[in-house]
Amino acid sequence: MTRTRTAFVAVIVALFLVAGGILIYANQSHGGQNVTISVTVTGADKMSPSTLNAHLNDEVTISITSDQTGEVHLHGYDIAFDCTAGQATSHTFKADKSGQFDIEWESTSTPLGQLVVS
Amino acid sequence: MHLASVFLHGFGPRYDLPIAEWLYLYGAGGVVALSFVLVVVFAGDKVGSKAVEYPRWKVPALVGVARSSWPRFAGGVIGVLALIAVVVTGLFGSIRPERNPSEYITWIFFWAATVIVSGLVGNLWYYLNPWAAIYDAALARLRPAATLPNVGVWPATALFLSFVCLELTSGMANRPWLVAVAALSYTCLTLGGMVLYGRDQWLEHCEAFTVLFVIIGRFAPVEADRDESGRVTMVYLRPWGVGLLKPYPAGWDRVVFVILMLSSLAFDGILATPAWQDFDIALEPIWLPLGSLGFFFVRTVGLLLLTMTFLLVFVAIMQLVMYFGSRKVDLKTTVSAFALTLVPIALVYNAAHNYSYVMVQSQLIIPLLNDPLGKGWELFPSLAHVQPSFALAQAATVWYAQVILIVLGHVIAVYLSHLRAGERFRTAQRALLSQYPMLILMIGYTMVSLSILAAPTTNAG
Repeated sequence: MTRTRTAFVAVIVALFLVAGGILIYANQSHGGQNVTISVTVTGADKMSPSTLNAHLNDEVTISITSDQTGEVHLHGYDIAFDCTAGQATSHTFKADKSGQFDIEWESTSTPLGQLVVS
Repeated sequence: MHLASVFLHGFGPRYDLPIAEWLYLYGAGGVVALSFVLVVVFAGDKVGSKAVEYPRWKVPALVGVARSSWPRFAGGVIGVLALIAVVVTGLFGSIRPERNPSEYITWIFFWAATVIVSGLVGNLWYYLNPWAAIYDAALARLRPAATLPNVGVWPATALFLSFVCLELTSGMANRPWLVAVAALSYTCLTLGGMVLYGRDQWLEHCEAFTVLFVIIGRFAPVEADRDESGRVTMVYLRPWGVGLLKPYPAGWDRVVFVILMLSSLAFDGILATPAWQDFDIALEPIWLPLGSLGFFFVRTVGLLLLTMTFLLVFVAIMQLVMYFGSRKVDLKTTVSAFALTLVPIALVYNAAHNYSYVMVQSQLIIPLLNDPLGKGWELFPSLAHVQPSFALAQAATVWYAQVILIVLGHVIAVYLSHLRAGERFRTAQRALLSQYPMLILMIGYTMVSLSILAAPTTNAG
């Protein structure tokens, strides 16, 4: 390989690595806040809102009010909300795993929505 | 919409997030930039048979292991026990897929993990194949009753397609009993085939996974030289991917098999995208009246159309390659020679797609050991409440792993394809020129893989 070619390759690779470093630094997660999310479940098959968002390492409180009695399960974090019809049930936990985690009406495995931790 | 939200791979949720947009754009930019860097690096390279020579390093320490019968014995025992577990837990265990070990063994440990590890290390299926093990232990004395007609690997291709349909298009892969019945049927077919036509004849032409893992094993960094009697004379290490340059029988059967590997992986990803969901819903008036059969039909047609499209695009690109290479070579040999250079992209995409599945969901089988058949047993009470660790699967880790894998796979593929062109076309300049169409195809395929990983996922994925 000639010297110009080597220089060309080196410059492109170096530029690319620098750009990657800057992008990764600029997109660090901004977690560590206290986040409270209130949701309602109706008919044991619908949740509003259906997507709950949090950042990694947030202290998350989810409060669920359902019009039916039963368990709402947050998978991945494996948290059971034992809901009584008409009353709010809440759990607080640290969002220490990132990803998207399904929320289900446990007895029928009906998907209600997702918690997205990014 | 309940039918359409059946989980893919049989069962269980996926936890991984789509790749963040900035990282996706960065990865995509990197693929394009590196492709051009490679073109510059390659200009004026070797041609002829020298082009496909690759370095390899002797590892005498492994010769003893390769000659010993222990690895095959141990692998065979693991394979047979796993097969028995799939059948027994599938037939008699819980009907809930996430509580049935047969689903984990089939879709995570066999289908996702064995493929990834075989690419990284070497053809594990050679050791694990339970049917070969059963045959060697109990049926090896039987003489084949018939000779297999000259069918190439078409039977293996058809069986691989059936397996892919079970996984992706049947919508029933999450029924443990069906997985068990499929495993039992395939066991009867494979043992019967080996008895009738001879062990190696059947394995090499009709057993889908043997054909598949031989291709994957070519990517792996281990190779063995054998003498005429088949005894291993030396074991070598080689760079990942270069084994795909070794001579491979030419034929449309093998090309279709490789294309099916690529298209089924892409289809697996596409199913999880909102675009497919919209398409599925748009077609509902056609398939909904047919019930689960209609669901199966729409997906199978989708898979077959995608496979046809992949095949046609590949053949068209190869025509261009031959045109720019300006040498009279026949299409079948050229297509066969270049098909394997696409395998690295498919393998890294497979690893990226299944990364968190293998890292996290695989751990969910541990609590099931306490009560594998869902009968309320307490075999290992201490395991019953084990929670999966996310240590290696935080979103950022998964994303970086995915993008690095995709870029590496792309670079390996472009490099192999360039070496292959050097071997096929007379001058370095011609070889380089012939590579532009292939480079465009590879950038396209890599971009499709990357964009599937970055697309928002739905429950079906």
